[in-house]
Amino acid sequence: MGHTSKFLKITAMFGFIFLYAPIVSLIIFSFNESKLVTVWGGFSTKWYGALFQDPQILQAAWVSLKIAFLSATIAVVIGTIGSFVLIRFKRFRTKSLLSMMITAPLVMPEVIIGLSLLLLFVAMQNLIGWPGGRGMLTIILAHSTFGAAYAAVVIQSRLVDMDLSIEEAAQDLGARPVRVFFDVTLPVIAPALVSGWLLAFTLSLDDLVIASFVSGPGASTLPMVIFSKVRLGVSPDVNALATIIIGLVSLGIIVAALQINRSKKQGADR
Amino acid sequence: MTESTSSIAQKPWADPNAEPFMQIKNVTKKFGSFTAVENVSLDIYKGEIFCLLGGSGCGKSTLLRMLSGFETPTSGQIIIDGQDQAGVAAYDRETNMMFQSYALFPHMSVEKNIAYGLKRAGLPKAEIATRVTDILSLVQMDSFAKRKPHQLSGGQRQRVALARALVKKPKLLMLDEPLGALDKKLREETQSELIKIQESLGVTFVVVTHDQEEAMTLSSRIGVMTEGEIVQVGTPHEIYEYPQNRFVADFVGSVNVFEGRIKEDGEDHVIVESRDTGSDIYVPHGISGVEGQKVAIAVRPEKIEIGKTELENVRNSISGTVDEISYMGNVTVYKVVLDSGKRVRVSRSNRIRSTEDALAWGDVVHLGWAGTAGVVVTS
Repeated sequence: MGHTSKFLKITAMFGFIFLYAPIVSLIIFSFNESKLVTVWGGFSTKWYGALFQDPQILQAAWVSLKIAFLSATIAVVIGTIGSFVLIRFKRFRTKSLLSMMITAPLVMPEVIIGLSLLLLFVAMQNLIGWPGGRGMLTIILAHSTFGAAYAAVVIQSRLVDMDLSIEEAAQDLGARPVRVFFDVTLPVIAPALVSGWLLAFTLSLDDLVIASFVSGPGASTLPMVIFSKVRLGVSPDVNALATIIIGLVSLGIIVAALQINRSKKQGADR
Repeated sequence: MTESTSSIAQKPWADPNAEPFMQIKNVTKKFGSFTAVENVSLDIYKGEIFCLLGGSGCGKSTLLRMLSGFETPTSGQIIIDGQDQAGVAAYDRETNMMFQSYALFPHMSVEKNIAYGLKRAGLPKAEIATRVTDILSLVQMDSFAKRKPHQLSGGQRQRVALARALVKKPKLLMLDEPLGALDKKLREETQSELIKIQESLGVTFVVVTHDQEEAMTLSSRIGVMTEGEIVQVGTPHEIYEYPQNRFVADFVGSVNVFEGRIKEDGEDHVIVESRDTGSDIYVPHGISGVEGQKVAIAVRPEKIEIGKTELENVRNSISGTVDEISYMGNVTVYKVVLDSGKRVRVSRSNRIRSTEDALAWGDVVHLGWAGTAGVVVTS
């Protein structure tokens, strides 16, 4: 490798500062002693302590985790079935249309997704009485639908790379199609399932807009609580909370990236 | 030697009373308007290594996939060991396949890969273990039992794939380009090992390949395919020495083809007048043709003699100018241009090192071949 030019180095540095300065300052101020958010008053972890005393925040965090866990699981199941059918679909035109449709929620504005889901839930409640009112269930359903789109994209790319002849080999050795799926296909795409799940989990934890639309009383997610707190003025304990979330999300992304990398390596070895 | 090899040595295909082990009857496969396999009929006998030889897209793989149950024939019948295979799914067939990509399960160890088929058959654990150990030692992979496929070399994977396909003792083993992914040296070793293993187990093999050399060394018989049809079936010797048409002559080995018309159609010989050679060509066997009919004579490069002086003891003799010389070590290949402009390929084995009668570019040379060297190909 030759030397990277100075100009490039400086540009890259500015780029990263632009991206990360706000986050870094947030992390720094989460350790601020002072009650004033923008004035440094010495190092302290008291806001973290205060955070864990706040029942409202703890409650919201618990709700968020439950929603993220369940919706990510549902998303992966739907995403797997969807992408499996899509990849194995023989007719080309239908295939590309369906594959476009499954990825549409990725680019759809969240406000529209939230609004349309809210309308759907209300209409369903009027028609068939389910889901009864809005709350955790409706948030889980909403997050599952858009999480499934993300999971499907990740799983599809793994299925495309997969050598179909290993499924035929299993059949040739006497395994029926369902058996083939569980013995061969599923283990081979497992890394993609894990990274798809982590992606859906993270997205669900992050989401504010869709959750605000479809949630009801008693089911406030963490982002919703933070948002409402901030509207009344930024308090230092929100900084602490945000720092914890950043930590968790980065951890999730790192694990997901490692998984994707590993599955790619395995694919190359094969 | 096992019984099966001796029965193969008796050439069951030449015996009209012999019962074929597998019969393919008028099988056709269409994908939409495209016909991949057209009206193929074939009898394969127990213990054979039968090669389907042809270029890519000739339908050989489709035929193999129909035998293993991954494709259903559009029409026709496949009978294996007396059982009609219509409606029998791939997972219920007593055949196994070795895939071109080997198709090893990447998440399972060598051992588990091989045991998979036996487990599906519901065999007791103890028997699975002994059979896996036995087959591993047969393919000399004992010490690799715990490895994962990605920790193996290409040749080792090939062995595991073979072991996995053989361990169920299938009635018929299908091999799709079994040696395609190996380098030349390894191929040659593996080829002879494959034959040994086949002989010791007595399993009938159907091999698909595009490599004529592979087909020649492996098989008891070869079926040459092109455009979905089988154009000739025969032993490697028959295919090479007596190609029935121009495609086979050209596809298997290299060949010189001289165009001409029948000038004299005798009981025991034919004389063909050829503009390519500028002289008459003598063939010492009769053909069922009429005088004036267009025919072609195929002569293999190694059957043509070449020399600076007039050749003796040859029935057909022509002369030309050396245009190209390629020295390949064991043989030297000369391209000679005749007066008619026709280029003839002649190969001469380098039996002696001497350069006394060495030929050079531009030399005027005499070519000749025995009457029996040429074969008349009609289509």
